[in-house]
Amino acid sequence: MKWRVVKPEVYDAYLNMALDEAVSEGVRSGSSPPTIRFYSWKPSAVSIGYFQGIRDEVNLEVCRELGVDCIRRWTGGGAVYHDYGGEVTYSVIAPTGVFPKNIIESYRLVCGWIVKALGSLGIEAEFRPVNDILVGNKKISGSAQTRRGGVLLQHGTLLYDLDLATMFSVLNVSRQKISDKMIQSAQERVTCVLKHCGVGKEDIYEALIGAFTEGKEYEFGTWSRDEMARAEELAEGKYRSEEWMFLR
Amino acid sequence: MIASQKVREGKLVKVEVECGESISKIKITGDFFLHPEDVLDEIERSMLGLRKDADTETIASRIRSTAEARGAQMIGIGAESLASVIKEALK
Repeated sequence: MKWRVVKPEVYDAYLNMALDEAVSEGVRSGSSPPTIRFYSWKPSAVSIGYFQGIRDEVNLEVCRELGVDCIRRWTGGGAVYHDYGGEVTYSVIAPTGVFPKNIIESYRLVCGWIVKALGSLGIEAEFRPVNDILVGNKKISGSAQTRRGGVLLQHGTLLYDLDLATMFSVLNVSRQKISDKMIQSAQERVTCVLKHCGVGKEDIYEALIGAFTEGKEYEFGTWSRDEMARAEELAEGKYRSEEWMFLR
Repeated sequence: MIASQKVREGKLVKVEVECGESISKIKITGDFFLHPEDVLDEIERSMLGLRKDADTETIASRIRSTAEARGAQMIGIGAESLASVIKEALK
């Protein structure tokens, strides 16, 4: 099986999430190859999990003031602030048969590639089930997965730099979640690559591409015309729609 | 009526219910995972008509049977813990 690896790109939130869905459809129908992609979000955006209430998680007024997009993902999990300069996002889209059937084990496999990439940069990280990667007990990466029609999509974020002021102004951080973990301040829960290692984003991408492709047959590629057309359709018709945004 | 808990499986669950003698409307939200995702709509529908004084096991049993019928997998949440948040919301 030959993977397609799409080198780092920049799109807005709607096209980013729509591309994941369009490629999932393509993998399902056999018209798209299994794909690994890396990307950033411009403008910066908040994504919420499929089951989350947008008003519970996001300060919509602050987002509007700051020009931060809001989007509901196709995957479950929690709310994430995708800072344009401060994070790296990945997606892995392939037939479910490529991964362990057990969901936690499949997270462990893909998150293991991120752990390995961080290790190659000298950062000791560990996978913490369900879907987190920690460095020194602080979260540096979170992922989310869906399996539909025999296709597994896992996407996730790796924090490169932290803009905590913006992050905590656009997210309504749950007091329960913080108090449960007996942590005094929300800031103490997260860390980023730059706090551990002074590398550039390009170095991170290089490390990630190396770890994600290790032992795989792959080639660098881009989107087909059909994939991009379908993604644009989904971005406009689904991900930008009020109906989808306020689904819950 | 609203209840919200960080459940023992690790994720946050919030339940909003409208209830007279029985549940007429329910919305379950949170940062959990459920595959396939649309099973949550079915779980919500399976709660409609449930009496306000239903015990946690009755609620959990409906959740379990709905999930099992679809071969659903819950991650970071379980039938019993979801049932206890629903029960809490009904108080």
